[in-house]
Amino acid sequence: MADSETSADAHKHKIFQELLSPSELFQARSRSHKIPVKGQKDFLPNASEHQRTRLQQSLDEHWTLLQEERVERLGNLVKAVWVPEERQVELQSPAGKFWHSMGFSDRGKQCLQAEEALYLMECGNVQVFYHDLPLSIQEGYERFLSSETLTLHQYQVYGHLKRLGYVVNRFDLSSVPSVYERQLNLPASVDSRQRKPVKRKRSQSPVSSDNRSTSSLEKKTAEHQSETNESLAGQTTPDQPLEELMESLPAPEDSSERTWWREERIQTPSAQSQTRAPRWDFKKLSFPDLGSRSRSACLASPDPSLLPGALEVGDCHMTQWLRRLNVKEEKLSRRERDRQRDRDRYHRDINRDPKVRDCRNWAEYIKLMEERRRQQQKQRPSHLWEREVTPLTQPGQCTSHREVMERISIIKPSSWSEGVSRTPPADQWKISFDVYQPDTVAEFKKSHPGKPYSRMCVCSFDGPVPDLRIMKQLSCQSGDVPVTFAVVDHGDISFYCFKNFRLPSDVY
Amino acid sequence: MDAGEDQSTGDDVIDISFCGSTPLMWKVSDIKKCRGTGVIGALVGSLARQPRQNVRMGRPLELMQEEALMLEETISASASLHTQDCKDEEAARQYEAVLESSYKEQCTLALEDKKTVLRRIMQKKENDNDDSGYAVRDRLNALDQAFSFPRSAMAIQLCTARAGFSHCPDERGFLYTDWPIPRDERSEIRFRVYRDLRSKGYYLTSAGKFGGDFLVYPGDPLRFHAHYIALCMSMDEQLPLCDVLAIARLGSNVKKTVLLCSPQKPSEAGKEERIEEGVVYSSLQWSSIV
Repeated sequence: MADSETSADAHKHKIFQELLSPSELFQARSRSHKIPVKGQKDFLPNASEHQRTRLQQSLDEHWTLLQEERVERLGNLVKAVWVPEERQVELQSPAGKFWHSMGFSDRGKQCLQAEEALYLMECGNVQVFYHDLPLSIQEGYERFLSSETLTLHQYQVYGHLKRLGYVVNRFDLSSVPSVYERQLNLPASVDSRQRKPVKRKRSQSPVSSDNRSTSSLEKKTAEHQSETNESLAGQTTPDQPLEELMESLPAPEDSSERTWWREERIQTPSAQSQTRAPRWDFKKLSFPDLGSRSRSACLASPDPSLLPGALEVGDCHMTQWLRRLNVKEEKLSRRERDRQRDRDRYHRDINRDPKVRDCRNWAEYIKLMEERRRQQQKQRPSHLWEREVTPLTQPGQCTSHREVMERISIIKPSSWSEGVSRTPPADQWKISFDVYQPDTVAEFKKSHPGKPYSRMCVCSFDGPVPDLRIMKQLSCQSGDVPVTFAVVDHGDISFYCFKNFRLPSDVY
Repeated sequence: MDAGEDQSTGDDVIDISFCGSTPLMWKVSDIKKCRGTGVIGALVGSLARQPRQNVRMGRPLELMQEEALMLEETISASASLHTQDCKDEEAARQYEAVLESSYKEQCTLALEDKKTVLRRIMQKKENDNDDSGYAVRDRLNALDQAFSFPRSAMAIQLCTARAGFSHCPDERGFLYTDWPIPRDERSEIRFRVYRDLRSKGYYLTSAGKFGGDFLVYPGDPLRFHAHYIALCMSMDEQLPLCDVLAIARLGSNVKKTVLLCSPQKPSEAGKEERIEEGVVYSSLQWSSIV
């Protein structure tokens, strides 16, 4: 009996040896928060007293820092519960400042991911309970980190970045917009998953929601319906195509003149497939040149036969749309102007070629090109072209070094995104986190995080270096966000990234 | 339950907890003991005093595989293998009780503290012949009734290492064969080199960033710079020349000597029993012969 008691006591002593007494807890309120600076190191150990004392000092400092326990005011702690089935932590008291960039709502409750909860535990902001007992940091590591949530290396990278101030979220493959979505550049209000639109360079057109503009347009057309006719009549410099428009309005039955609103008579689909494709007379069809300097004020309404039912569409007032067109002269930098001058020096505009203009369709154009090519070949000197080794180009064919190089190149340059399938690579290589920069934290919104600064892939020096296929797959998965590799080596984290680089193939 | 059949010495066995296949150490007494035997490890957690910085880290201590094996050989170390999931209501009640008594004690301490402060102010005012000292005395006398210490003002400890409130049984493994450390030829080579260098009195830490296996220090890493970068390879391994050049360049850039270490095969050193388990070292030095 006595033996078991002493063993229990010894065990208790061993387990509770890091627990603080209430008086220690009370005194901990006035602890220093400064970390002593590490001094200079020595090169060689000698048995001197000086070195021994300095070593002892460093060690004492080291142990003091290490054995300090986290003591927090109960009112400052957020209480939470670990839910192993969901592998997440549910908050039981309202979240603090961290809620701005961390956490999510699940079925009405505020929740944290496992790594977020563990990080906040280490910061001393959250106390997580499990089975009514508070979890220590050790138990947090043991329970929260697993292959299903996050590995230890991934958590180390997470913690490292969070401590530096970055906002770090788990990567979600489905949230990466595809190339097409990026091209569409939809505004953020359309879908909460969409990215914020990126302002295009040199464009003045503001991004606005379509709803607003169409409704205002309808209003305008209704108001100005009566005025348009007068304004049209009083136009001093009508465009040639506009005149045709005007003339065609009072005579809708005239089939020889067509406006751009009208088309060939729409026949039944079955009949249409049997008839030949309509030959459009492009001389008579007019496409208003909205970019021309002498702008027209409005376009006439379409042929009512084209509109469904009793719908009436008024004239289209171009002014507000034209305002959105960027008709400013493009201001090029001097370098770009020089480049353009060199390009245009020998540039022959194929559209001005009269023979090309005579072509009525693509087939004729191709035939013309083929003929020209054959003619050129006839002119070639036979002593050059009939041998085994032929010249690389003909005079006039290549106008820059780049074109010549392209003819020489045996290995075609390929871009980063070529030849990649979107299937995820081996389990070892996957993107773990989205990282957002610290200075954007103030404006960070959990619902619209926007485009991350970088995406992290965690690996270690023990494993292999990523090969080209893996790098291509990861960067394709990541869309247009650069991928950074975080290499973990016993707490030391190094960051590497690979940048796409094209060798310059021209001399400017 | 817990390890430690040695009741005489109390707590001789070191606790290692595994996170995947990485050995971690949480208790300060264990970490101190390990450093005494030359096992340094690397701190990878947040420091309690200042958690939001990366310069100075806190517990847990991450051990290299070789360090964990070394500890298992020299001082007895046991690993906790599975965390149990039992619900211990008795422990929860005990915890509540501990919290309650801590609260009461902190109340008393806070009251005392406040009284001391007021007395000091009063004393100072009396010394300065200030009449407002009477108001302070009134406050002091009324303090016992008027003082309030809400529960939210109580100081709570957030334990770093396992506190042991719950008495759930814990499965522990004493032999390294039970530990989730992978053992292959490469880790064997590394361990033999580690053991040899340790026996010569050097301190070793991980050197992934330097392109090697270990950083070798002549003394405690807190006070000394590393002298060598140790690269472990088997005797018959062929190292391409470009790798040799790369590691030599790196070594000269960071002002450390590169050591190529290979454990001798037991059959080769059969004649001399002295170096049965010996390791052969070659160093690379840039000789600037112009």
